[in-house]
Amino acid sequence: MSKSTASLQALLRNMETIIRGKTQEIKYVITALLARGHILLEDNPGAGKTVLAKTLAQSISEAAAELHQPGGGVAFKRIQFTPDLLPMDLIGSHIYDEARKDFVFKKGPLFTHVLLADEINRASPKVQSALLECMAENQISVGDTTMALDKFFFTIATQNPIEMEGTYPLPAAQLDRFFMKISMGYVSEEVEFDIYTNYLSIGNVRDSVKQVLRYQDILDLQQAAENVYVHPEIVRGIVRLVSATRHHPEIALGCSTRGGITLIKCLKAWAVVNGRDFVIEDDIQALAQPVIHHRLIFRNRDAARTVLAQLTEQEVNKLAKMGIQPKR
Amino acid sequence: MSNPVRHRFSQLAFHLLLVVVPTAVIGYATLHWLNLSFTALNTNVSSQALFFSAGLTFSYALYFFRARALVTLLLLAIVYYFLDQSISRLPGEFDVFYATTRFQLFSTLFLAGWLFGFLLARFSWGYIVVSALLFVVTIVTISDTTDLSYTYLLTRLVPLLLYALYLFFLTPQLNASAEWTWKKAGHLSLRLTLFVLLVLVSFLLAERLLRGQLQAVEKELAARGAQNEKDSNGQGGYDDRHGLMENTDDGLRLKDTVRVTSRMSQSDKLMFCAKLNSYEGERPIPLYFVFHYLTRYDPVKETFTRDVNVPSLDEMDVDPAEVPLYYSYTDTSILRKAMGDRYRKIVEANVYLSENTWKHSVLGPSSVFAIQTIPVEKDFQRTFLSAYKIYTYASELNNAYFVYNVSANPFLETVQEQRHDELRTVRNYGPVNKEFLEYYTRMPTGGIYDSIARLAKGLVKENARPLDKVLAVRDFFLQRDEFGKRIFRYTLKPGAVDDPNIPSSKMLYDFLFKTKAGYCTYYAGASHFMLRALGIPTRFTTGFATIDRSDKNKGWYWFYASQAHAWTQVYFPEYGWMDFDMTIGNEEQQEAPRPDGTPPLPPPEPWLVLNAVAGEVKQAQKNLDATFRELIFHNTPHKLTEPLTLNIDASLCRIVFNERDTTFAAVQAGDSIIVVSYKDEAKKVPAPRAGVAIEQQIQKFPQPLPADEIHIHRKEEKKDGAGQRITETKKRPIDWWAVARVTAVVVLVALLLVVLSPALYLGYLLVRVRLAAMPARADWIYRATLYRLHMAGIFRDNETPLRFAQQKVDPQLGLSFTAFMNIYLRMKYSAQPVEISEQESMNLFHRQVGPALRQKTGVIKSVLHYLRLWRAYLYFQQPASAESEPSAL
Repeated sequence: MSKSTASLQALLRNMETIIRGKTQEIKYVITALLARGHILLEDNPGAGKTVLAKTLAQSISEAAAELHQPGGGVAFKRIQFTPDLLPMDLIGSHIYDEARKDFVFKKGPLFTHVLLADEINRASPKVQSALLECMAENQISVGDTTMALDKFFFTIATQNPIEMEGTYPLPAAQLDRFFMKISMGYVSEEVEFDIYTNYLSIGNVRDSVKQVLRYQDILDLQQAAENVYVHPEIVRGIVRLVSATRHHPEIALGCSTRGGITLIKCLKAWAVVNGRDFVIEDDIQALAQPVIHHRLIFRNRDAARTVLAQLTEQEVNKLAKMGIQPKR
Repeated sequence: MSNPVRHRFSQLAFHLLLVVVPTAVIGYATLHWLNLSFTALNTNVSSQALFFSAGLTFSYALYFFRARALVTLLLLAIVYYFLDQSISRLPGEFDVFYATTRFQLFSTLFLAGWLFGFLLARFSWGYIVVSALLFVVTIVTISDTTDLSYTYLLTRLVPLLLYALYLFFLTPQLNASAEWTWKKAGHLSLRLTLFVLLVLVSFLLAERLLRGQLQAVEKELAARGAQNEKDSNGQGGYDDRHGLMENTDDGLRLKDTVRVTSRMSQSDKLMFCAKLNSYEGERPIPLYFVFHYLTRYDPVKETFTRDVNVPSLDEMDVDPAEVPLYYSYTDTSILRKAMGDRYRKIVEANVYLSENTWKHSVLGPSSVFAIQTIPVEKDFQRTFLSAYKIYTYASELNNAYFVYNVSANPFLETVQEQRHDELRTVRNYGPVNKEFLEYYTRMPTGGIYDSIARLAKGLVKENARPLDKVLAVRDFFLQRDEFGKRIFRYTLKPGAVDDPNIPSSKMLYDFLFKTKAGYCTYYAGASHFMLRALGIPTRFTTGFATIDRSDKNKGWYWFYASQAHAWTQVYFPEYGWMDFDMTIGNEEQQEAPRPDGTPPLPPPEPWLVLNAVAGEVKQAQKNLDATFRELIFHNTPHKLTEPLTLNIDASLCRIVFNERDTTFAAVQAGDSIIVVSYKDEAKKVPAPRAGVAIEQQIQKFPQPLPADEIHIHRKEEKKDGAGQRITETKKRPIDWWAVARVTAVVVLVALLLVVLSPALYLGYLLVRVRLAAMPARADWIYRATLYRLHMAGIFRDNETPLRFAQQKVDPQLGLSFTAFMNIYLRMKYSAQPVEISEQESMNLFHRQVGPALRQKTGVIKSVLHYLRLWRAYLYFQQPASAESEPSAL
C-alpha cells in the first residue's frame, strides 16, 4: 500500500506541475481512473483537457509492449468527434492485406490506455453508443469476434456546453455510464499569471513530463481502491441520499442504483487518492456533486444548482452528528 | 400528494393528536378542579370532559377545513335552541328542571370546547388566548382553596405552564410546514416528548434542590392562613378564656397567636389529666405543660405568633390524632434542639384528653421528643376520648412549684435558691450562636417599646448576670409599696375601656406604667419585652399551669380550662430553656381548690396490634378479614415485606370510631383499622421467639384471631361524604402576596433553568467526557468541542467537521483540531483500531480546547457566551438550510 501511495502522490505532484491550480479536478480524474471508470469533462475549449489527459498518459511507464509509446508512457489516443465520424473510425476496420491475401483487422484508436474523446456530443448517436459500449464492457465486438481492451482503459470525454447547435446531446442513460462529470473552469488570476510567465515555453508535454509510476502501479492502486473499507453508516447515508433524490419534488429523474454503486466505487477511490483506507463523510460531500449531479433531471434551473448540495449537506450533517457506531 | 384530500385528512389527524389531545387533557384537569371547587357542577367529570372534548374536536376539524365561523355558529345556536325547547317539553314523569340544568351545563361545556377549537384551529395566536383562559379559571379555583400549599400550587400551575410552553413551541412548527408526512409528524412528536420530559426533569430537579426553601414558604403560608383564621374569629364570646383559648371543631385549644386583650372569662371545663413520671426522691415534681411557643412578635398586628423559621425549635411537629394506636412517633433531633444538657432527664407522661380539648397538638412539658398513642381504659372513656404517652427531655431545674406560690413554702424557697445559684453560674451569652441570640432578643423599637426597654434597663446593673436580670424583672412585679401592699395586682378584668381596637402594646404600656393590673398574658408579654430589651433570649410560652392539689394520687395532675396560662421561658446556655412565671398570685380571690378526679386505670397491655385494612366483613358471624403489613407484637414493631391476611374474631370486641364506641356494623370493607388483642389469662397468647422470622410466628397465631378492640382509623371515603366536606369548608381569604411569591419562585426557577440551559448542556457534555471510556469518549470530546466552538462564535455552518477544523478552527485558534478530527474519523469509519498514543493525543487535545478559547475571547466573554440562548438554539437547529424546503408546489 505505502509504495503505491507514494507513487500516487508522485503522480498528483507530476500532474500539478503541468496543470496548474486544478488540484481538485486532477484528483477527480485520478479517482475515476482508480475506480475503473471514465470521466466526462464539460468545459470550454482551452481549459487544459488535452494537456490533462496527455500528462496522465505520459506519467505512467512500462505498459504492455505493443501499446507502448515510443516516447515513453502508456498509449494515449485522441479522437475529435465530428458529425460525420463513423463507428469504424473508432474501432478500426478490416483491411485487405495483399501479402496475406486476407482481410486483417486494423485496430482503431480505441485500442489504447488513455483515450481523449473530444467534443463527444458532436458525434452521431451511433458513434456515441459505440464508444459507450466499449467504456462499459471494456471490449469491442466487430462482426463475430470480440476483442478485449486492455485492463487499463480510461476515457476522458469532453463536451462543449456553449455550442448547442449541431450537437447530439448525450441521453440520460448514456450519461449514467460516466462515473463523473466535472468541469475544469478557469483558474484564478494569480495562477493564470504564473502560467503566462513560467509555462509558455513548455511546448511539448511529452518532453517535460517525468514518468513517475508504472503501469502495474495503476492496477495495484485500482485493487487498493477496491479494498477500501466503507462503514455501514456511510452506506446507509448514501442509500438515504440516493432515495432522497428520487423523492424530491424538484427532481424529475432521481439517481439510479448504478449511480449509487458508482458513488461507492468513487468514494473508495477518492479515499485512496486522499491517502486513506476508509471512507469519511467529507468524501460524500466532495463526490456527490461530480458523481450524481449529471444523472439527475431537474425541474428547473434553480433546483439544479441547489437541491443536490442541500440534500448532500443534510446527509453529511447527519453523519457528522452521529456518534461512533459499531462496525460489522 | 397524489391524493390531496386524503393527505389533508392525515394532516388533520396529526393536528388532532398534537394539539387537541393535550388541550382535552388540560381541559379535563381543569374541569376536575372546577368540580371540586363548585359543587353545583358536581356531576360526572368524565362526561363533562367528553362534551368539552367533543366540542373541541368538532370545531377544530370544521375550522381546519376552513368552515365559515358565522354560519357554523348560527347552526349551532339553532340546534341548541331546538334541543332546549324539546327538553323543556318532555312529557311524563321527567325531572325537567334537572334535565335542563344538565343540558345547559353540557351545552356550555360543548360551546367552551367549540370556542377553544376555533381559536386553536384558526389563529396562530389562539393558544395564547386558550392558555390565558385556562389560567384565569385555574386562578379562580385556586382562590377557592382553603388549604394552600406550594405542592398544590405546583400541581395546579406547572401543567398549565407546560401546556403553554408546549403550544408555544409547537405552533410555529405546525404552521410553518405545508408538507406533512407521517415520518415528519413522528419526528416532531418525538422531539416534543423529549422537550416535555426535559422540562419535567428540570422541574423535578429544581423541586428537589429548592424543596427546603419552598417548604419554608409553605409553612409560612400555613401560618399566615392560620393567623388570618384567628384574626377573623378572635372576638367570639366563649373563646376568650385567658385570651388564650379558642373554639374549634375538635374542642378548645390554645391560640397560636396571642394578643393581649382586655377581657377574659373563666371556664371550669376539664381539659385533660396527666400522669407525670417526674419525681425528686419520693416527692413529685410538677411541670408546666407547654402547648406552643410564640417566638415572634409582629409589631404591625401587635400579636405574639408562632414562627416556623425559628432556630432550634424544640417543638415536635406531629398531629397525635394521626398516629395510629400504639404506634409511636419520635423526633430525636429535639434532644439536640433543646440546646442544653445539664440537669436534663427524660420524663415520661401519660396524657388523657377530654372531649373539650383540641386533640391535634402535643401537650407536654418542654422538649417532647417522642409520642405513642395509647387507648383509654373502658371505664374512663366517658371522660377521656384519647390518650398518649409522651417522652420529654425536661430540665430538673424546672419545677411548677417555683413559679406557683413559692413564698408559702420555705422548703421550696431553698430549692429555688439552689436553682438560682446554679443558673447564676452563667455569666453571659458569649458562647451562644449569634443567629439564635439575635432571633430571641429581637424586639421592635420606638415609642412604647423604648419606654419598656428604658424601664427594664433601669432595674438592673449593666453587667449583672443573666439570672439576676431575670430576678430583677420578677422582683419588679413583686414589689410592694410602703404599706406592704403589692403594687401589681392580678385581675381578669384589667381593661378600663372595653375596646378591641386599643393596640395591645398600649395595653402593656398601661399595664406597666398606669393600671399595674392584669392577668398572665400581661405579665408574660411585659416580661418578654423587658427581658429581650436586656439582651436575654426569651420566648412567650403558652400552655397550662400545673397545680398539685392532692396527695392522693401522686404524680397525677388535672387541668381545667382556667389553668390555661402564658409565661416566659428564658434561655441559659448549657441548661436550656427555663420556665419563669412572672404572673403574681391572685391575693383577692383565692381559687377554691377543685378536687382532682379519679385517675384512669392504665389500659391492659396488648400482645398484638395490627395496622390493617378490613377485608371481607361477615356481619352475622361478627368476624372479618384484616390485611396488614405493620404489626406490633409484644411491644416490638414489625414491618412485613408482603401483606398478610388474618381472620379476626370480633365477637367480644369493642369497636371504636372517631373516639366513640360504635357497633360492629360500622366496620366496612376497605376501612383502615387497628386491631388490638390484650394479654389475657383465658387466651392462649403466642410468646415471641427470638431469631424466628415474624412471618413464621404469625403462622402460629390463633385462628381466627380473637380481637379485643378494633379502632376504625379512617373510613373509606364516600363520594357524597366528600362533596359534603367541600361544601362545609369555610372560605377563607387567600394571602395573594404569598401566592404571588410562590408563583414567582416557580417562574423564576423555570426561567433560570432556561437561561442556564446552554451552560448546563456544556456541563453535561464535559461530565460525559469525564465519565466515558475511550471510543465513546472521543465522541463526547468531539461533541463538546463542536458545541464550545459554536458557542464561542466559530460557526460550522454547513461545513463538514473536518473542513471546519482545517479552514476555520485551526487557523483561528492554533489548535490541533484537524489532527484530532483525522484520528476521530478513523475511529468512526475505519476498520482498523486506533492506537493508544493517538487516544492520548485526543485527551490532550480536549484539555487544550478550553484554554485556547479563553485566550481567544477572554475569560469573562468565554463564560458570557453561554448566556446566548438563540445561539445555543441554532446549534441544535443545524443544518438550518437543509430543513427549509422550496415553497413552490
